[in-house]
Amino acid sequence: MVDEEEQKADAPEAPAAAPVKGKGMWIGIVVVVIVIVILLVAVFGGLFGQPPARKYQIDLWYNNDGHYGDTEDELATVLKNQIEACGKIGVTLRNDPWAVYRTNWAQGLMDVFLLGWYPDYFDSDDYISPFLSTSGAASLGSFYTNTTVDGWITQEQTTTNPATRAARFTDIQGSLADDVPYVPLFSGNAHVAYVNGITDVELHPVSFKWFIMDKPGSNEINASTTDKIISLDPASAYDYFSIEVINQVFDTLLVYEPVTATLMPGLAQQVPTVANGLVSADGLNYTYRLKPGVTFHDGTALNATVVARSIDRAIRLNIGGSAAFLLYDVGALGRDATNGNNTPVGRIEVHPGNMNITFHLPRAVSFFNDLMAFSVSAPVPWNYNQAGEQPSTVPNVVGSGPYRLTQHTANLLVVLDRYATYHTPNLYAGLGIATIPVEDKVTINIRLTATALKQDIETHAASGIDVIYRTLTPTDLTDLLGRAATLGITVDVGSGPQIRYLVINVNRVPEVAARQAIAYSVNRAEIDTLVFEGTAEPLYSMIPSNMPYHEPVFNTVYGGLPNCTAANNLLTQLGFSIRLSGIWIARDR
Amino acid sequence: MGSGRSLAAYAVARLALAIPMLLILLTAIFVILRILPGDPVLALWGGNQPGPEVIADARAQLGLDKPVIVQYWDYMTNVFRGDLGVSIGFQYRGSPVWTEIAERLPATIELTIGSMIVAVSVGVITGVIAGARRDTKLDVVIRLYSTIIYAIPIFWLGLLFQLVFAVWLGWLPANGRWTGGDIPTPATGLFTVDSLVEGNFGHFVKALRHLILPTITLGLVLGGFFTKTVRANMLQTVVADYSDAARARGIPERKVIFRHAFRNALSPVVTVLGLQFAILFAGAVLTERTFSIDGIGNLLLTSITSKDMTMIQGVIVVYATIIVGISLVIDIIGAMIDPRVRL
Repeated sequence: MVDEEEQKADAPEAPAAAPVKGKGMWIGIVVVVIVIVILLVAVFGGLFGQPPARKYQIDLWYNNDGHYGDTEDELATVLKNQIEACGKIGVTLRNDPWAVYRTNWAQGLMDVFLLGWYPDYFDSDDYISPFLSTSGAASLGSFYTNTTVDGWITQEQTTTNPATRAARFTDIQGSLADDVPYVPLFSGNAHVAYVNGITDVELHPVSFKWFIMDKPGSNEINASTTDKIISLDPASAYDYFSIEVINQVFDTLLVYEPVTATLMPGLAQQVPTVANGLVSADGLNYTYRLKPGVTFHDGTALNATVVARSIDRAIRLNIGGSAAFLLYDVGALGRDATNGNNTPVGRIEVHPGNMNITFHLPRAVSFFNDLMAFSVSAPVPWNYNQAGEQPSTVPNVVGSGPYRLTQHTANLLVVLDRYATYHTPNLYAGLGIATIPVEDKVTINIRLTATALKQDIETHAASGIDVIYRTLTPTDLTDLLGRAATLGITVDVGSGPQIRYLVINVNRVPEVAARQAIAYSVNRAEIDTLVFEGTAEPLYSMIPSNMPYHEPVFNTVYGGLPNCTAANNLLTQLGFSIRLSGIWIARDR
Repeated sequence: MGSGRSLAAYAVARLALAIPMLLILLTAIFVILRILPGDPVLALWGGNQPGPEVIADARAQLGLDKPVIVQYWDYMTNVFRGDLGVSIGFQYRGSPVWTEIAERLPATIELTIGSMIVAVSVGVITGVIAGARRDTKLDVVIRLYSTIIYAIPIFWLGLLFQLVFAVWLGWLPANGRWTGGDIPTPATGLFTVDSLVEGNFGHFVKALRHLILPTITLGLVLGGFFTKTVRANMLQTVVADYSDAARARGIPERKVIFRHAFRNALSPVVTVLGLQFAILFAGAVLTERTFSIDGIGNLLLTSITSKDMTMIQGVIVVYATIIVGISLVIDIIGAMIDPRVRL
């Protein structure tokens, strides 16, 4: 007989209770409803609520191989932080070496990029027309075009009326601030350090003059620089140091006063003006009367024919990378293929007697006199190479200036010796410098790095270096300023003519409001403090503050400090979240 | 006579191999430079770009308007005729490449030779001492020194030397090959040699004083390698059979070290000299920059930044030729010493 308990143990287990279908179904329905509600909230929230915060994206480019010194990455980083600080612009930093950088900006591949400018001639036009004329803007990568501004530029270039020029420069700078194809940032400083006791070391805005310096008790000055000579042929030179040496060894029709940028007679007897009749009333004819008896260092004569031939030579050769275009294009002298690529026949007139020369221009050029003070117009001897560049070796460099080139070892040394029969040794007598050159000899050692320059002046007692000029890093400059008394040196810092600025490619950043927002974001004082240790000068127009017709338009319109409220209002008006997708698509190459 | 023919055949074979190597190198550099972005013609004017016709003119003047294959053929035929072309960069615009190289080569040669002298002298001496005094405190110090000195960045060491010996102590010039206008009358371009040629001992001393800091900087860093190599070889030769035999014959330990162990330890060092010259030239680039010496290392740096293609090619050809030549000479010397090396 089976035990009851055994039966129970053997009995199959009762099946589990069946699931309550209804309860699970309701749970599922509730979950689905919740998900649908969430989705609806998200969708409706997107449609009717505020769009998520999105930024206007730009690429900010800078050069990474020292073309503008060692501070570029620092400068770019500070700018990025400033522009992003207002919260509605996103900045991506990009960089390239100079050759690539140059190509990219010419091809319009960069949104916003850092550039610098050193003037070719000391006139405010050289801070305006290369940037804001249609052709200039295309060259410099902003691709800005405004026919009204083009007209204003032509007017200021061709008028001899200062009031008209002033009015046009006001208009042009106003457009600059409104349209913002560029954001001026700061002027670079010029600096020089020298042993105590040396006098007449002038940070001239255009031309550094070694021939006015005086080292009492010595007839020689030793200097060092990091600049290099590219060419000592006036028809070829277009870099700072080559032109600096040319300005000691060669002469031009007009020269600048030792301290200021006021023109004065050089090879010419007078500065042509409308008042003295040497400039025609319509500004189309400039006559220069040459000083008699001037000779080159090799004894050959310097007369009007030589001047004309030298200018034609520079224009005809049109050496790649030279400043010849300042003569035939900017200066309107022209270049005529039917006349062997010289100036057109009759453009340069040599008067009988061979002492007067007249330039007949097809259009007025209000700063033509400044071009005649630029090294490209310096007369060269008759036997200079007429088919190409004249070598920069000692026997081949023959000028008429106060110094002769007596030694030139490439990238090592330049030695200048007094030209005993200089035509006008009392050139600056009326300005307190009895005779030039003051010192018999100037030796300029060429160093590779700014550190070497600093070491030269730090060890001046052992190195024998009296003057260092161009270019110290901001850190080294600040250090020398602080230790000048201990080192027994003087360090002078002044405004330089170089300007630094942001270029905004108006094809890639087409919204004026966006460009204005960038302008509102920049803090120049902070840049000066963080990057340049207080040695740069904030710049509020493309024309620097020490130039005529300067107006601080960016300070007037955008203020001296960042204004995020204004910047963000502009960007909000753009509705740039919709625009953003357009920008990304445009960049998708 | 048989071994002489074998050595000659070895030398000829090595020389023959050098030519295709240079060809391949030139071609690779030519192609790479043209693939890389950046237009050197546009860079000529910096930020002040003239009109397109002027740029086109410049491009034609420099031969850059021709098809690349034509440029390549022209370039290669010119190189084998000894014409390295003209510079197309902003810095040396229009100047023959060989002229620029020849002006700067003496500076690099002086620096390189001086540095090699320092490297070998310091490296060998410390290596011998360390090898002969294995596991002593002196050995440990020398090993530590050789590791640290080989790892130190050349420019950092150079700056340190400049600070101490030039700025603080004022004993030596901080930078440059020369200061002042009275450079030696050019003969070879080597200021030390030229000053001796002109019989001016003052100039010789001045040239040497300018050379001391850069050569010591570069030489010490490279010497670390020689220290390690010589030490490693010494450790073997000091305990080799012939050394033991010499000791057994009663030869003093000092003579065992220097006459037997050292000489045999030096033999493998000769074979690495060629490689070290290549490294020395590379190190010279940094040293030249630190001490403001305008040699071909600095020329290469400047040319790269301005994408001066012909100059870059020219400098690399010269570098390669020098290094191949030195390696060839050293290989031949090595083959003379050790016939097992020959084909």
